[in-house]
Amino acid sequence: MTQAPETVFGDDIVAKAQELKGRYPESRSALLPMLHLVQSVQGYVSREGIAFCAEQLGLTEAEVSAVATFYTMYKRRPCGEHLVSVCTNTLCAAMGGDAIYKKLSEHLGVGHEETAGEPGEPGSITLEHAECLAACDLAPVIQVNYEYFDKQTVESAVELVDKLRNGERPKPTRGAELTDFKTAELQLAGFFPEDEERFAADVDGPSAAEETLRGAALAQERGWIAPPMPEEGSRG
Amino acid sequence: MTLAHQKPSETAQTEVPEGHVRLTIDGQEVIAPKGELVIRTAERMGIVIPRFCDHPLLDPAGACRQCLVEVSMGGRPMPKPQASCTITVADGMEVKTQLTSPVADKAQKGVMELLLINHPLDCPICDKGGECPLQNQAMAHGRTDSRFVDRKRTFPKPLKISTQILLDRERCVLCQRCTRFSQQIAGDPFIDLLERGAQQQIGTSETAELEKSASHTPDGTPFQSYFSGNTIQICPVGALTSAQYRFRSRPFDLVSSPSVCEHCSSGCAERTDFRRGRIMRKLAGDDPDVNEEWICDKGRFAFRYTTARDRIRKPLVRGEDGELHEASWPEAMRLAAEALLKARDGKGIGVLTGGRLTLEDAYAYQKFARVAARTNDIDFRARAHSAEELQFLAAQVAGTTPEHVSFASLEKAPIVLCVAFEPEDEAPIVFLRLRKAARKMGTRVAFVGQWTTSSVRKTSGELLACEPGGEAAALDGIAEHAKDIVEALSAEGAVILVGERAATMPGLFAAVQRLAERTGARVAWIPRRAGERGALDAGAVPTLLPGGAPVTDAGARAALEKLWRLPEGSLPAEPGRDTAGILAAAAAGELDALVVGGVDPDDLPDPRAAREALDKVGFVLSLEMRPSAVTERADVVLPIAPTAEKAGTFRNWEGRDRPFEVTLQNTGAVPDCRVLDTLAVEMDVDLFTQTPKAARADFVRAANSVTRPAATPVEAAPEAEQAKAETNGHVKLSTWRQLIDNGSLQVEEPHLAGTARPAVLRLNEATAQRHGIVPGEPATIRTERGELSFPAEIADLPDDVVWVPSRSPVGVYEALGVGHGGLVQLSAGTAAGAESAEGPAGETGGAA
Repeated sequence: MTQAPETVFGDDIVAKAQELKGRYPESRSALLPMLHLVQSVQGYVSREGIAFCAEQLGLTEAEVSAVATFYTMYKRRPCGEHLVSVCTNTLCAAMGGDAIYKKLSEHLGVGHEETAGEPGEPGSITLEHAECLAACDLAPVIQVNYEYFDKQTVESAVELVDKLRNGERPKPTRGAELTDFKTAELQLAGFFPEDEERFAADVDGPSAAEETLRGAALAQERGWIAPPMPEEGSRG
Repeated sequence: MTLAHQKPSETAQTEVPEGHVRLTIDGQEVIAPKGELVIRTAERMGIVIPRFCDHPLLDPAGACRQCLVEVSMGGRPMPKPQASCTITVADGMEVKTQLTSPVADKAQKGVMELLLINHPLDCPICDKGGECPLQNQAMAHGRTDSRFVDRKRTFPKPLKISTQILLDRERCVLCQRCTRFSQQIAGDPFIDLLERGAQQQIGTSETAELEKSASHTPDGTPFQSYFSGNTIQICPVGALTSAQYRFRSRPFDLVSSPSVCEHCSSGCAERTDFRRGRIMRKLAGDDPDVNEEWICDKGRFAFRYTTARDRIRKPLVRGEDGELHEASWPEAMRLAAEALLKARDGKGIGVLTGGRLTLEDAYAYQKFARVAARTNDIDFRARAHSAEELQFLAAQVAGTTPEHVSFASLEKAPIVLCVAFEPEDEAPIVFLRLRKAARKMGTRVAFVGQWTTSSVRKTSGELLACEPGGEAAALDGIAEHAKDIVEALSAEGAVILVGERAATMPGLFAAVQRLAERTGARVAWIPRRAGERGALDAGAVPTLLPGGAPVTDAGARAALEKLWRLPEGSLPAEPGRDTAGILAAAAAGELDALVVGGVDPDDLPDPRAAREALDKVGFVLSLEMRPSAVTERADVVLPIAPTAEKAGTFRNWEGRDRPFEVTLQNTGAVPDCRVLDTLAVEMDVDLFTQTPKAARADFVRAANSVTRPAATPVEAAPEAEQAKAETNGHVKLSTWRQLIDNGSLQVEEPHLAGTARPAVLRLNEATAQRHGIVPGEPATIRTERGELSFPAEIADLPDDVVWVPSRSPVGVYEALGVGHGGLVQLSAGTAAGAESAEGPAGETGGAA
């Protein structure tokens, strides 16, 4: 007796994929969110995930593989419950990012894009060193599932991952509440809670920090404005 | 903006024509059409700018940066050197290439140095060494040493991206010619750029570093394209090689000879490279009128049949022990001639020629039949055929030239309607043209067929789905079902293409002709085999003389009798029997001998009857290259030359002559026309076809001495109504041959065979459910004669219709006794286990 091979992606995911496809005039444009959708199911982009996107969008698996292997946000090995990204770009690195990464790597016993614990199990953590996370004013920063933990130290970072391993969900410095990697991936795919309040709490948390706005506040206080644009034709 | 910067006109300048611009390249003034790429304009002026990624038939990419030039517009220099393969000409543009600009020269040298940083420089062991653009340009423009002292980037090698194509990633300069070809020209984007960044590389979804989860999953798709070999040819480095040719030879050891492909009716220009009497490889020739610069993988890789170990090189005669024994030519000829003379004076001789002859050889066969055997019992159609088809060929096809319908007119057509024709499998280069027409010219391509095949998809085609066998009705009803298509067909330049499968469907040719008359669209017939069109024009059919005059035309016969110096009234006047008729007559003892050239009984609608006829008939003469079902039954076998060892002409589907010379000289193999000429002499008849050249001259004289009658309407074959038989419990079969299958010219090519499309049984979801068939699991079709099993695949076929490939690997006719449009029983499971598996399901009960 034979059965249809079990598909990883159920009807609800097919429906979501179709919804994504309908959001763009060119269906191929839906590939980026769809790869996030795939990650929200499996915690990474697998061969099945590639085949699924290809089938949904009428692309070849090679075309989908090309995109999936381009971006670092598409993980090709199963991720932990949480993804911890340590910024090691110039400013963060100088402010302690390198030391944080080194310490976390030792503490967790894993390297770049490796997972401490069984991937997908509670308390498992995937570590990565990331390129610029766009928060130099708050350096050094760590992201957990792309939520910010600002102005970290080696000690605070160790404390953070220990809490994560214990199943706690520490509050990010700003932005929305911490969930897990797969949930964050569903949001990245473009699917948000319909309930207004939950949306505000889970997704739309205040993300501006005092440091971020300090310049704007100063300028407003002192009445600084940008110089006028040169008029058309008056160049040279 | 002022005019002061502009150079004063040196002369009374020539007027710039509408749609053109004036610019200078290296100080020379030139007028170029708007939109032309600078690199192309320079090329026309004889200024060569080095390049790797640029290819005139591919969309510009600007990927390799080797073609950098200095550009200024109206005296204002652009801030950086520009890629001349992506920048288009503009009025007042000044371009300086490496010849006049130190900036461009330095930029190009820098790019070359960068390209070579990770290149292994393993030219001495690389297949491309000696004909490599990177090697040549590095020698011409590069540095003599490298400043790069670090370790080069390496990859495991070679990477098998299909059974045929091998990839050495460290040699790649990432020009993307191969990916652009696959995506744009072939429509098979199974290779792409992976791992962008420092590890950027070409790959397939199989080679991508991806993990699978524990559940069922595909392993990705290899580079499974009918056109994959072209990527090897356009690769400007040695990154892509074929398993067939890798490490076999050096380019400078090869002798190259222009040739013509012997496989399909497109007649592609090829270049055959050989060494010490053996063909090492084939490349696409450049012929803008026919194949542009592309050929399919069958044309490129399927040539080892010529060196097959079992090739027949000496005449064979069946001895008293019933076995074939080698014999001398004179002995074999004498035996054959004696037997044939006896047969001619007895009940007669039938001549079956197959579809792979050159025009000259086909002409020799028909002359042999009419003059030496004194019969019109000759037919080239070694496949399903009908009287209706023959009428259609006589009325609509014989004698047409490329002026009627050509590759170029497919590009200009507002619409092309394909009827019973699957271009990618049957004439791949026609497919490429249709895809180009659809992509670049907006040509509509419509298909009367059963499902959305790759040809439909990749030509953005519209499918007019019908049941197999329902094609004629679909065409007659097209005005109701698809009014817009009829309107489009009525426009100037519209084309209807009809394939060889049409002969299996009574009434279809008549319906095609009616539609053409109603709309004014032009009709072209595209057979699958290279020799069919030439054989038709040469008169290797029971009803037509060379030049397309009917055999019943006394005037034409008289003219040929005069030309051929025959006694008046000696040419047979009665139309002869077709292939089926000849075989039936042979089986019934109404013929005493058969002369058979290159026929595979499995191609015929009733292979068993064909073999039986060969068994029963008194004498069989076989002209063959390799042992076959015919030689097994032959009394005398005469070896003949493969295409590479003879000269000749293939007349392609357009009616365009594709002459070729001998590639491998002095192999001792002789062409059919010469064998027949000598045999005829033994029979005391002169054919004057000793050489292909003589045969051709004789053909031209013959064709010119008769007149082709005006086209007559095609009568639908009477069986049309009968097709609506009892279908209770049965499904209808749709079938045609895939390009790469078990054809006899594809032997000894395991790497090519590995790129064949998987043989599957296709059906729609509802039909699958009704029969308990699960996709991916085996399904079986069966008739009283036998059964065939394939893995099932869901496709958009009509209800109760299944599709299977005709010979991948088993012949459908042989196994089932039916073909396209036939009725079969369908069940889940494999052939062997089907009986028991289906019992409990009650499937047989329903079908009985």
